[in-house]
Amino acid sequence: MFVLWIAVFYGIFKKWRWTPGLAILTLVVTVFLLKAHMTDPIPLNF
Amino acid sequence: MNFSVERQVSAARWINVLALLALLGVLAGSLHLQFGVGEQPCPLCLVQRSGMIGLAVGPVLNLLWGIKARNYAISILAGCVGAAGSVRQVFLHIANPADPGYGPEVFGMHLYTWAFVTFAVGVVGCAVLLLWNTPITCGDQGICNEPGRFRALTYAVVTWIFLDVVLIAVSTIPECGLGMCPDDPANIAGLGDVGGWLLIAAMGVVSLVVGVLIDRRRTKK
Repeated sequence: MFVLWIAVFYGIFKKWRWTPGLAILTLVVTVFLLKAHMTDPIPLNF
Repeated sequence: MNFSVERQVSAARWINVLALLALLGVLAGSLHLQFGVGEQPCPLCLVQRSGMIGLAVGPVLNLLWGIKARNYAISILAGCVGAAGSVRQVFLHIANPADPGYGPEVFGMHLYTWAFVTFAVGVVGCAVLLLWNTPITCGDQGICNEPGRFRALTYAVVTWIFLDVVLIAVSTIPECGLGMCPDDPANIAGLGDVGGWLLIAAMGVVSLVVGVLIDRRRTKK
């Protein structure tokens, strides 16, 4: 996840056009990791 | 670009830099807890850190590439992802009334509750800035071709955030690899209260020097 953020910042410094897309992809990965952690039987399991 | 538009763009840039400094403050608190106190971050804490970094990406893009609605949208999405992580952690600890919560309290609230406040402020702030049309539609190209103290400051702040991201990545990989982190990570021997703040101050000084050097190098070109 954080390796992807490093790639996002590298893309920003290099002005690569795909950088905003990679930022969105990194957020999607973050959501998957959050979802993977939702194993307790409490509210907000989505 | 007339004078009035220039002033509006300048004000919007200052707001973006101040937002980055606020995020640096929040990240500094979490890094101090990790490297100073020695408390390793939990998986949900890392999700929230990822949200914080995503929240910072919008202002960084605004400053370096020019102010655009898309950049605020990235920050809003990151704020929503981070807020989901912090609300999840709040729910985990209020589901059981006997649960004392995770980690230390700051001004009566746990850090994950403060993280939610930060994400909420970030999302609302971006939405408010989206209402301000002139800086978005005037064709701003960012600060890279505008020499001066503000550009050096911006480079320093962006460098500091990048160093934070690298430090978090480097410290996370031994604990978690590239996937999920353990639920209850073992604490490490920290640098101590003063040592933790010194580490953060050192990162700030290095960033400031790098910011000034990049600014001078670009001015000479």
